[in-house]
Amino acid sequence: MSAAAAVSEAPLHASMATMLDVLAWEIELAGARCIYLDSMIGKMMKTVPEGQQDLLVEGMHTVDLLAQHLTSLSAFARRMSALTPEDVSASVDIALSDITLGALADRMSVAFGGTERGIYDGEDAGDLDLF
Amino acid sequence: MIYAQGQKIIVGDSDRTVLELLQIRLDTAGYHVCLARNGPAVLELLKQVRPAVMILDAGLAELSAFDILDTLKKRGEKPCPVLLTGRRLAPEDVKRGIGLGVRDCMLKPFSGADVVERVARLLRPPAPPKPASPPPMVKPPPAEFGSAYL
Repeated sequence: MSAAAAVSEAPLHASMATMLDVLAWEIELAGARCIYLDSMIGKMMKTVPEGQQDLLVEGMHTVDLLAQHLTSLSAFARRMSALTPEDVSASVDIALSDITLGALADRMSVAFGGTERGIYDGEDAGDLDLF
Repeated sequence: MIYAQGQKIIVGDSDRTVLELLQIRLDTAGYHVCLARNGPAVLELLKQVRPAVMILDAGLAELSAFDILDTLKKRGEKPCPVLLTGRRLAPEDVKRGIGLGVRDCMLKPFSGADVVERVARLLRPPAPPKPASPPPMVKPPPAEFGSAYL
């Protein structure tokens, strides 16, 4: 989809509850990526001489804190979504256009009931091994 | 941390974020994850993979989770334990799912940690039946003064 086509589409609205849901998913995904990174650092640890592991331990600790930070924020967004009335809504177009990570903007746009924003190149982009 | 020895899990969901989240979470927990974006893809995967657990979204595109389980039932295939997910799951959906092999349900949005925990619970072998309790000890009647036990 061209940028011009994306601009000409009808404004995209979403309820606050849906916005919080979508945020919860994305924050949860970011947290999961931290957990993956944490496990990778753990594997690297085995290949590093014992005297040089301090830096990796520090890195693991930071990533672990970040994962906890994100999963807590995700839980907060989930809870708030459940408490927010469905009839409160807002336009998400401008906020979506502020997201410079194409894949993220696409996923969020689709989750709000819109189309992919045209930045993300094809459904095979990324590292998901879909069937 | 729960660590599974490469047991296979099929995840069927039309939402890329959910698929990616579950792939990372379950993969990190040691499972082998197979992803499908729609119902026909789940059925196609089932021809090649014998999963230990399936995580299916009730509103999966093209063929719902119920349609998939119904198809398996008609083929006479016994499905593996199924974790049903959905934004809204009506009591009748849950009831229908249980009749088709659903063992657990989760409302969306859920946390990745919860899913890993639920999957581990589904894979846990059932607790062995408790052994029959031994008959209660019967106290011998108090010996009367002068009586003798042989």
